[in-house]
Amino acid sequence: MDKRVSFIRSLLQPLLAVIVGLAAGAVAIAVVGGSVLETYAEMWKGAFGSFYFFTNTLSRATPIILIGLGVALAFRAGFFNMGSEGQMVLGALSAAITALYLPGPAWLKLVAALVAGIISGGIWSAFAGWLDAKYRMNLLITTLLLNYIATLFAGYIVSYPLKDRTGSAAMAQTMMIDKSVWLPKLFKGMSLHGGFLIAAVCAILLFLFMRYTLKGYEIRMLGGNPLFASYGGVQRGKMMLLSMFASGGFAGLAGSIEVLGTQYRYLDGALTTPGYAWSGIMATLLAGSHPLGTAVAAILLAALQTGGMGMERNTEVPLEVSSIIQAVLILFVSAKITYSFIKRRKARS
Amino acid sequence: MDQLFDVSLFASTLRLVTPILLAALGGALCARVGLFNVGLEGLVLIGAFSAIVGNHFTGNVLSAVLFAILCSLLFSVLFGYMSIHLRANVIVVGIALNFLALGLTTFSLRAIFDVKGAYYNKDMVGLPKWDIPLLKDIPWLGDVLSGHSPLVYLSILIVILLQLFLFKTVTGFRLLAAGENATAAKSLGIKVTRIQYGAVLMCGVLCGLAGAQLSLGNVTMFTEGMTSGRGFIALVATMLGQSNPLGVAASSLLFGFMDALSIRLQGFALPTHFTMMLPYVVTIAAMLFFKDKGYMQEARKANESSR
Amino acid sequence: MLLEMEKITKSYGNVTANSDVCFTLRKGEIHALVGENGAGKTTLMRILYGMESPTSGEIRLDGKGVSFASPADAIAHKIGMVHQHFMLFPTFTIAENIVIGREPSKGIGFDRQAAAATVEQLGKQFGMPVDPRKKVADCSLGLQQRVEILKVLHQGAEIIILDEPTGVLTPLEVGELLVAIKGLAAQGKSFILISHKLQEIMEIADRITVLRDGKVTGTVEAKDTDAEELSRLMVGRELIQLSRKAAGTGKPVLEADNVTINGARTKPLLGGVSLQVNEGEIVGIAGISGNGQSELIQAISGLMKIDGGSVKLLGQDVTGATVKTIRERGLAHIPEDRYQWGVAKDATVMENGLMGHAGKHQRYGVLSGPGIRSMVGEWVSRFGIKTGSLSTKAQYLSGGNLQKLIVARELAQKTPFLIAAEPTRGVDVGAMEIIHGELLKKRDEGGAILLVSSELTEILKLSDRILVMFEGRIVGELAADHATEEQISLLMAGGKAVG
Repeated sequence: MDKRVSFIRSLLQPLLAVIVGLAAGAVAIAVVGGSVLETYAEMWKGAFGSFYFFTNTLSRATPIILIGLGVALAFRAGFFNMGSEGQMVLGALSAAITALYLPGPAWLKLVAALVAGIISGGIWSAFAGWLDAKYRMNLLITTLLLNYIATLFAGYIVSYPLKDRTGSAAMAQTMMIDKSVWLPKLFKGMSLHGGFLIAAVCAILLFLFMRYTLKGYEIRMLGGNPLFASYGGVQRGKMMLLSMFASGGFAGLAGSIEVLGTQYRYLDGALTTPGYAWSGIMATLLAGSHPLGTAVAAILLAALQTGGMGMERNTEVPLEVSSIIQAVLILFVSAKITYSFIKRRKARS
Repeated sequence: MDQLFDVSLFASTLRLVTPILLAALGGALCARVGLFNVGLEGLVLIGAFSAIVGNHFTGNVLSAVLFAILCSLLFSVLFGYMSIHLRANVIVVGIALNFLALGLTTFSLRAIFDVKGAYYNKDMVGLPKWDIPLLKDIPWLGDVLSGHSPLVYLSILIVILLQLFLFKTVTGFRLLAAGENATAAKSLGIKVTRIQYGAVLMCGVLCGLAGAQLSLGNVTMFTEGMTSGRGFIALVATMLGQSNPLGVAASSLLFGFMDALSIRLQGFALPTHFTMMLPYVVTIAAMLFFKDKGYMQEARKANESSR
Repeated sequence: MLLEMEKITKSYGNVTANSDVCFTLRKGEIHALVGENGAGKTTLMRILYGMESPTSGEIRLDGKGVSFASPADAIAHKIGMVHQHFMLFPTFTIAENIVIGREPSKGIGFDRQAAAATVEQLGKQFGMPVDPRKKVADCSLGLQQRVEILKVLHQGAEIIILDEPTGVLTPLEVGELLVAIKGLAAQGKSFILISHKLQEIMEIADRITVLRDGKVTGTVEAKDTDAEELSRLMVGRELIQLSRKAAGTGKPVLEADNVTINGARTKPLLGGVSLQVNEGEIVGIAGISGNGQSELIQAISGLMKIDGGSVKLLGQDVTGATVKTIRERGLAHIPEDRYQWGVAKDATVMENGLMGHAGKHQRYGVLSGPGIRSMVGEWVSRFGIKTGSLSTKAQYLSGGNLQKLIVARELAQKTPFLIAAEPTRGVDVGAMEIIHGELLKKRDEGGAILLVSSELTEILKLSDRILVMFEGRIVGELAADHATEEQISLLMAGGKAVG
């Protein structure tokens, strides 16, 4: 009984957030002179209106889910990893390079590219963890700053040494990856690819891992009270490197899947402009770092974005209405944390 | 090398340091009352955007700056309300506000100016350049120090005023007390909440000024996310300067110089990617010298036995 | 009558902290308020000081009804309070700490010169001289106590509440403090003294009010009573006498040799501590908190790296080993501060119980739910831990129940060696008896226990041997049968053992 009530309550919160978010969006639409109902109808159509649009939304959600999972893992361990963007970019770059230059059969290239993405994203992230564990450098800030360094570095690589000079366009990008190495599409003529399945499986696995395994338990306790964890024999430094590596690994995987499933090359800015990393962090915050919740929130945010594009195609309302809704959703997240605080205080007295 | 370290490099350092310095001073005030303000980035962004908006609608630079202050102030009220009144996790609130600022400015850019990415209008008037009498006639030094926007000079004044305020006045003393031991301050009847709000609001004002310098002083345009991490660099400057106005000024100067150097180096035969990395690399390197409180202390504070 | 508190009741939900409490204070009087932990002493004083508002009841000053919404109100009515945990600003000077809230000023400026002069004068006037320019962080606890009292006097207080003022002081400092209090009372200041140390109270108080379970069980003139009557009023029944068998002389379990930890300043945190705990023996470490006990515990359990010396557990060298290894070799640990070290507040009772036991309840890294559930469930029923369910978050448990959970968890490790640090801090009498009983049982079964406590009575009750720590060193060892409170007190203050 007690459990059911708290379960319903945990659903009620995000629902309320969505309603308020939509209301704020409605205000924004009205401000720019659009019709609210019509605009939202277009938005819905753009996100879920047809099977094509639906799969499109899921394919956009894929990197967001993976990044969200990585951030959720780090948050649960008590580490504010804000470096998903750089980790994703490096993962994507390594995946592209591996797929392009590694000799061998296509399947091997594909697997190696995914692994390379995970490893480079993971190492970049673990580096920040190491700086914190060893030199006590504030993780939140180092991860943020490392983003800029990573994207600039990747930009350099595809602007100079590995630039695609075959085409006529002067884009900063690598060559195109051979078709045999691409992640297979799930449906003919649709953008949704095998990466979505990987992301879905990852979400379930992470959920099970956090809940039922020894390491998952240790990570949660570390996030809950690091002193308690170290008192009980959990080694913080080691766990920090491990969980930061895994966290960055997810982001790296997101980048490589995006390269192997959608872009087929590393194109400067193709991953940063859509703000996948930030959407992933938002999804995590929305879901309170719950892995399955993060996946759902990621799909919701992706739907807002694809819906926004549909809306922009068919109405006068600008795409950016979506970012307002997102921002309000996030504000509600903070309120959610507050809500639980008030609850706690009541229970105490 | 002569070419590199010339007058204009130092002059542009002074210009570029101002937004970082102002934001970092705001961050220092917040830190002094025990709030780690990750939302500096968002506050500055709001300031930068609203300065352009104010300029667009009034055509008057002064009212543009005032409008920027007002908007950042409103935003900081939100930060204060969530973190002080509702006691939500300060870091999460800060991150959320950064998202909100980005979303709001992106949307408003579209809604007000009907452009994507950046807004520029050649008729827009930037902040005036002040030539300081006497000073401008000194060779070299005059070229470096004179001819900047009023905000550059204001920021220097604010550093001094803030230093005096914190360490010489009664109110400043109480602010320090509230940050050092809030429970003790409360038990003495010091209005800790009010002081915290005061610091947060002041931070809003400073970030508004920082934003105005960014969009009306250094350039005369607004680009989406134009703060590009300066808020976070300012946060590092706050930490490095140990939240002492003079210390913060010194560390901001370092980061401003790196900013200027990075722009300057673009004229040389180096790939811009690496020159642009410079401020971030140096900031991380600088953090090596500042030991964070460490998780032990943080955790101890978070799990105090007196609940 | 200077102060009258009449029929004060304070309830938090269904818990009543004070019920119809009446309390009066005459001018120039020292009135002691005594009772067990949780009897409601502090709550009553927090009400008087404006930190809590009473559910019902009336407060009168000089016959006039008053109500305080905040400490500032109380201060304005010349009531001052010295809290058990000092309310000081360590990086500020003594003068700054004393004048804060009513700073001398020049315009908007803070006149630090005048502040220093005022404080110096104040100290002389009340016979408690201080150096106004010294940083509080550099002061001894006794001096900090003095700063607290001067602060209250500077606020112009006529009624001064002292909450457990002697808890952290050395016997010498206690003596000085009692003299100072008497002197101030002679000058017309009135004191309310919260304490559970009956000896001190008998020495200094004019009148004594005893609280038990939130109710007044008696107000007596000090000259008409004695310690026995007071303890009967405090506890309400005779305490069960614990039966103790003589200690066996078993093999050494823990051997610490010359353990050293260097401090940031010149003085080491631990200056070459050597000790041994044998099978079937409780070794008590007495000392005023902050004399290296925390460091010693952390050094032994692997939470802190040591700079010199060695630690052996069951004959094996564990110097510099990880916490995990040391625990696996045979150490369990009841931490000194349960909220900081002992639990994660947001985790459930079950998750908190699992810490340190997780290795046993997993297969291929996957935890076994039913096994954990039955283990923790068994503790809950055996120790009578009051909790909604095993999925209740730890933060909803009361301090005593949480402590019982921690004790159960650590005893269930069934390790040859146990560190019990402040095992009963802040728990009620019932929980204390259970915990003491369990510790003695473990000893009788051949366990080796290192008991660290700042409560002398606890040390004397449980230990077979007593070591006294002072400034990071062991300054004396006593057999429990012959040790007296006076001897230990003297050693705790850095004096030499006599006899």
